[in-house]
Amino acid sequence: MPDTDALLQVEHLSHSFGGFKAVDDCSFDIARGSISALIGPNGAGKSTVVGLIGGALRNQSGSIHFDGHDISRMAAFKVARLGLLRTYQVSREFGRLTVMENLLVPPPNQKGENLLNVLFRPSVGRGEDRMLVDRAVEVLETFGLLSLRDEYAANLSGGEKRLLELARAVMAQPKFMLLDEPMAGINPALIARLDSHIRRLRDELGITFLLVEHNLDVVERICDRVVVMAFGRTLAEGRMSELRQNPEVVRAYLGGGLDERAAG
Amino acid sequence: MGLILPYLATLMVFFFIYNIFTWGLNIQFGYAGVLDFTFITFVACGAYFAGVFALGPGSKQTGFEWILGLNWPFPIALLAGAAAAGILGLIIGLIAINRLRSDYMAIVTLAAGTVIYGLVSNFTPLFDGFDGLAGLTQPFSQILPLNSNQFTYLWVLVSGVVMVVCWFIAQRILNSPLGRTMRATRDDQDAADTFGKDTVRVRLIAMSMGAVLAGVGGALLMGFIGAFSPAGWTSGETFVVFAAMIVGGTGNNWGGVVGSFVVAVLINEATRYIPPIQADPTLIPTVRNMLIGASLIVVLWVRPQGIIPEARRRLYQLPLRPGKPPAAEVESA
Ligand SMILES: Nc1ncnc2c1ncn2[C@@H]1O[C@H](COP(=O)(O)OP(=O)(O)OP(=O)(O)O)[C@@H](O)[C@H]1O
Ligand SMILES: [Mg+2]
Repeated sequence: MPDTDALLQVEHLSHSFGGFKAVDDCSFDIARGSISALIGPNGAGKSTVVGLIGGALRNQSGSIHFDGHDISRMAAFKVARLGLLRTYQVSREFGRLTVMENLLVPPPNQKGENLLNVLFRPSVGRGEDRMLVDRAVEVLETFGLLSLRDEYAANLSGGEKRLLELARAVMAQPKFMLLDEPMAGINPALIARLDSHIRRLRDELGITFLLVEHNLDVVERICDRVVVMAFGRTLAEGRMSELRQNPEVVRAYLGGGLDERAAG
Repeated sequence: MGLILPYLATLMVFFFIYNIFTWGLNIQFGYAGVLDFTFITFVACGAYFAGVFALGPGSKQTGFEWILGLNWPFPIALLAGAAAAGILGLIIGLIAINRLRSDYMAIVTLAAGTVIYGLVSNFTPLFDGFDGLAGLTQPFSQILPLNSNQFTYLWVLVSGVVMVVCWFIAQRILNSPLGRTMRATRDDQDAADTFGKDTVRVRLIAMSMGAVLAGVGGALLMGFIGAFSPAGWTSGETFVVFAAMIVGGTGNNWGGVVGSFVVAVLINEATRYIPPIQADPTLIPTVRNMLIGASLIVVLWVRPQGIIPEARRRLYQLPLRPGKPPAAEVESA
């Protein structure tokens, strides 16, 4: 069962809020270097799974392994330090920091975050920052955000915030990115840009992706593999084209709703 | 002329000390978003520990009772007071920050402060209970025998030098990657967590460093007045510092200077020197508190970001699209 090529393994995960089982015996693997999707109707438990993997929620039973580490019940910042970054369904920018500063927060192990360096050797942090700024400029340029670098993140439009989330995550040089509805509420032109960014990051930097996504066109276009959830459980796995034929999956999407969603 | 100069010098000392307070609170709240409702407890901690390091031994017989009583030189006593406050900040921080977020955290700090206040004012062997510490001889009197006016001028110099050191501490933290991570934690703690930042640790550092500055200011007060008792650190004093910080503007230290000048000097301290009206001795303090409250309301109403808002940091200069100011804030020059 343990797949050596799996970067992330979720096994028999369960989590309840009060008495309500939001996630109920959910299992799946994500292959290294893949772009996968986690889909399912509203309330299926997708965001809860993201929270459990990312460490925002502590799972009540089951296990999560990432890149050889047991990350079940691990604190969020420790999970992140292993190279697993998640984003939120609602953009969570650092509003009163500029776009540039938002990009300078994620890089790990900054010497300028050490209090003794801060008080007695401030040049250490400044020197390090100069290099980070250079890297951030490159990243901002590829995401088309360079002209906004001195803008407060709170002032960006919804779509710009989505791009910022991705750009900011890239600065942390993660192995795995878990994106909760990265395309929610943005226009079709930007969706096309976002999905080409995701593919580029996978191809150039080898980052593995798991996207929670309602837009099945996007899923079909960029995802190698799809995990379907309903009622807290994994219902099916496979390629999107196969899953469209799967009667159980179709039923989960409210009797034929799947085709409508795909069309819309 | 004979009276005005020492009076101004005294105001100057309070202004300098209040600057240190607003910067300390700003490190906690303005940088890291830690709501510390018992800031004055750290001031007291610094004052008491500086006191018992600098004072001679107390004893039950004389009725002046306190721990330590080491007779150490004032500079060392000041550092001891700062360290004690920093450690207390860490302890209260561990209780409040480790498990809790924002509003509950603030209530825990308030509760901890109340417990400490009750303990210190009732348990006399510690710092002589409600009478407090008293009888500290002028610091440096062995090298520099001064009359009381001259001592006030000396204290302008001493607190001025200490203030400059505190300014550098506050500024270095603010302008460092650590300060940036604190501000990110303030804006969204969960998001900072998901970028691998140990936000509990970051907040503890802010809590403790803010408490250190509070303790430094407290020690300077102790050295200046020569006495310190629970009447001087009622919980309302925390809100005077909050008012100063918010009126001046959070997230930057010039705001603290302006705020402490307006609230702590113009309103708070200056009114204390107006002789109380015979008919009602409580009138002056009441007016003072009303003025502080009113200035806070006016600022929150017309300029919620404070008189001097947080500066926008430009880290990479190129021709760029002119930025629009954010909804709640205006770019400072
Ligand atoms: N903190 C919470 N407390 C109580 N119930 C919750 C909580 N978070 C989620 N739930 C419930 O758990 C179920 C799963 O929620 P979740 O957010 O994981 O769904 P989702 O698949 O992400 O849905 P969507 O597509 O709408 O984002 C829902 O019924 C939701 O109401
Ligand atoms: Mg969701």
